[in-house]
Amino acid sequence: MHRARHANAARGIMVVVALALVMFPFYWMINTSLKPASEIFLSPPTFVSSNWSLDAYVTVLTERPFARYFLNSLVVSLGTTALSVILAAFAAYGFTRFFPRGATPFVVFLLFTKMLPETLLIIPYFQLMASVGLLNSYFALILAYSSFALPFSVWMLIGFFRSIPRDIDEAAKIDGASYLQTFFMVILPLARPGLVAVGLFTFLIAWNSYLWALVLTTDASMHVLSVGVANMVGEYRVQWNELMAAAVIAAVPVMVLFSLLERHLVNAITSGAVKG
Amino acid sequence: MRSTKTLAALAAATLCATLGTATAQQPIVLQWQTANLTEKQYEPIWKATIAEFEAANPGIKVEPVLVARKDHWTKFVAAALAKQAPCIVSVDVATAAYNGYLMPIDKYMQAEPNDFRGAWSSDMLSAAKWKGKLYGLPIWGGTYAEIYNREMVVKAGLDPANPPKTWSDYLSWSKKLTGDGSWATAVLGGKTDTTTRVLLTWIWSNGGEAFNADMTEATFAKDPKSLEAIKFYLGLAGKQGVAAPAPTTTNYLEQTNLFAQGKIATMRNAYWAVAKVNDDNPAMKGNMFVAPIPANKANAPTMSTMTASSISASCPHPEAAWKFIKFDSGKKWSIERARVANWMPLRNDLANDPQVKADPLLAQFVQIGTHARSYPLPSPIWAEIAAGDIVDAVQRALLQPEKTEEIFRELDARLTKKLRDV
Amino acid sequence: MRQWQKRRLVGYAFIGPVFLFLCVVVVFPLTHAFWISLQRTRGLATSFVGTANYQRALTDDAFWHSLSVSVQFTVACVTLHMLIGLCLALLLNEIRFAKTALRVAFLTPWMVAPAVGATIWLWLLEPQFGVVNYLLMSIGAIDAPLAWLGTPGLAFLSVVAVDVWRGVPFVMLLILAGLQTIPRDQYEAAAMDGASAWQRFRYITLPNLRYLLVVASTLDIINTIRHYDIIGVMTAGGPAGATEVLPVLLYNTAFRGNRFGEAAAIGVLLLLIVLAFAVFHIRLTKPEQGSAP
Repeated sequence: MHRARHANAARGIMVVVALALVMFPFYWMINTSLKPASEIFLSPPTFVSSNWSLDAYVTVLTERPFARYFLNSLVVSLGTTALSVILAAFAAYGFTRFFPRGATPFVVFLLFTKMLPETLLIIPYFQLMASVGLLNSYFALILAYSSFALPFSVWMLIGFFRSIPRDIDEAAKIDGASYLQTFFMVILPLARPGLVAVGLFTFLIAWNSYLWALVLTTDASMHVLSVGVANMVGEYRVQWNELMAAAVIAAVPVMVLFSLLERHLVNAITSGAVKG
Repeated sequence: MRSTKTLAALAAATLCATLGTATAQQPIVLQWQTANLTEKQYEPIWKATIAEFEAANPGIKVEPVLVARKDHWTKFVAAALAKQAPCIVSVDVATAAYNGYLMPIDKYMQAEPNDFRGAWSSDMLSAAKWKGKLYGLPIWGGTYAEIYNREMVVKAGLDPANPPKTWSDYLSWSKKLTGDGSWATAVLGGKTDTTTRVLLTWIWSNGGEAFNADMTEATFAKDPKSLEAIKFYLGLAGKQGVAAPAPTTTNYLEQTNLFAQGKIATMRNAYWAVAKVNDDNPAMKGNMFVAPIPANKANAPTMSTMTASSISASCPHPEAAWKFIKFDSGKKWSIERARVANWMPLRNDLANDPQVKADPLLAQFVQIGTHARSYPLPSPIWAEIAAGDIVDAVQRALLQPEKTEEIFRELDARLTKKLRDV
Repeated sequence: MRQWQKRRLVGYAFIGPVFLFLCVVVVFPLTHAFWISLQRTRGLATSFVGTANYQRALTDDAFWHSLSVSVQFTVACVTLHMLIGLCLALLLNEIRFAKTALRVAFLTPWMVAPAVGATIWLWLLEPQFGVVNYLLMSIGAIDAPLAWLGTPGLAFLSVVAVDVWRGVPFVMLLILAGLQTIPRDQYEAAAMDGASAWQRFRYITLPNLRYLLVVASTLDIINTIRHYDIIGVMTAGGPAGATEVLPVLLYNTAFRGNRFGEAAAIGVLLLLIVLAFAVFHIRLTKPEQGSAP
């Protein structure tokens, strides 16, 4: 009994320490974002301040069109999620049901495409988009970002679809459903946890991506959040409190989304792809 | 069934919406990109410039391209390679011209009346030339001088009216200004080209040369005066101990922060640093004084940077672009930039303007700048070596001072090879 | 048309879209990159030079130095990711209290964009005004501010630490999910046989997690080797090249040096290295037959 208690206490302490280490940067980020400019460089630095205010946030939101950046990020991330999930689901289904031996080589091929450094791909992609007049469009970004999460998405969905027995497809066929109908109405709902997981993961990658949006959008009204935050870092000047406020604004939506849907992510990994 | 249809309809609608957001057609849209558009001290000015220009020129719209300074060149190059670069850009003239990203503007300049053309000295214009052709109009710059914190100087028992003129004076001042949690100065060793700029001012103030006349050979270590200067300057952080710690991560940003917060008493910087420090710490207003760089050689030149506005090679409306550049380089905006952002005008017809004369610091910088050499140095690989190879050598020498000479000899060899490979 | 032919066609229809997509977004840029690596580029002017760029890269000290930094960085980061991730997952698995909140809390470093996270750490590690030095000095661990990003050894340590901070959550999540699939009765049976905690871990937990660990570590290796954001933001490869991993070298060669041909050659070499790493790693940790996907 005692041993169990000790073990629990020890665990609790370790968790608290680990939590502190992990969360401290965020605490400092929020602390800095609430400080007035005159307090940023104080030595010793203040951990809590009676001068905390939301001024930096107000400045960030009014002086720069952060609401527009937010909207852009949202459209691009949602679009990417939709496209990527559909592509991955189609591909995973196609492979597991029709070309089962091709599944693994395909995942490996996708992994291979992930091995390319971003810098290399950006320029030719930019030229391609420029030549078809798609610069400064949501579409160009969505197209680019959808490729990022494909390997993980396909791998996970293949695991899921494998675990759905073929008999279900057969049953649907016998009932007169076409392939597409079977896919959308019967199989996909069964794979929902996997789809949610893949969607979450893709959304996150799209939301946080920077380099591509930087190069592919020149119109300020098309900037996404990550670009908006980066623009606040002038080499010659950094308003730390405003920068941190912008970072908080950029990070909060994802955190909210994750807290709501985290369960699905764990479920998905648990039931889908982990078995191997 | 229904859900499939609605899903498909939704997808189609989204797709159509995204495809349809191509930018609408305006009469003429000029894109303008310079790293400074994201600098707070410049923002009110450029917004006013664009507003006034558009009001005076209906049919032309100027669209600013905002990008973080460190990504400015990346974005420009990616666009230039796809022949979609912004029409008006401020970039390193030699590098961009060499790579074919800019359009020569000689013909536009020639078409201008004499009093416009006369506002730029031929020296100034030659800094924006590549292989004999003019690729940019010098718009603003900065002259490097030594800026002091008056309060700290007085507190150390030194006389602000008698700033150091030679290196030994400077060293004795520095020793008195160091101590009690603050230092005399900061040595710049961070990974940006300001490291190279400050290094060059020290080399030149000793009468040394870092390169030969036609930029085909590097002489950092080969020229004994240059090597002497390097050792002295880096020694400030090393054995002399009068410089703030962590020089290898000190750039303009860190240096001005340290100065604004009273951690260092002097900084080698340009006029724009004054505006920045005043912004960072309003208590510093009126607490700074300026003096020429301490030198070991009579009449040693200081450094003046030059930023030019250029037209990119792929611009479909070069005449409209030239109109804006001409507008932006006008007297009014040059003075505004000097007044608010502390960027020095490069026109030579402003010295007697009352607004310029009214600001004593600005007048001093203008005075110091009458004997200055231009920066960046005219090499198409300047951007790479100034923020790359030279900085690496400085960092290595800061970390291993006993190997300074060897490190800079290596640098000479590497740079010479690169210069010859151009 | 025969039934199996029709089936084939339907199959193609399902996997077609993703292939088409990959052609545009990956295959085209990749071929373009290969092609450029065979050219000497001076901005818009290019001339064919065959394998000269590759020769140049392979005989350049900077390339080999960069490669060794990359290897060190990847090995350090991935090892720490896996170890710490495993420990955290084991820890969290036993906790019943505030499960979701804790998990989300531990996931936060991963949710923030790498560039944003790196910027926050830049501020924390600032020598004069950063809070890390202040805290360390006030508990007496150091007596003068350390230049975290200014000395080679410390800079390498710092970027590894930040990458670990960023990368552990994902591994932790995967392993946590994996732990939940291990049937309880295996543990119970072992407990009844008198197995110690360590033995239970070694003979039940690890084998069950094996496949997952292989997948997680492979993905991690690939991601870490090509990671640019953190080092790019924090040190840009300095000081004196101490943190110049291959992606940073590539970026600098391409954009600061304007030598795209050479950069493309480095990129292709990087690709081959990653491929080699991944294959080697999978071979080494190959799960037993019959359990591969």
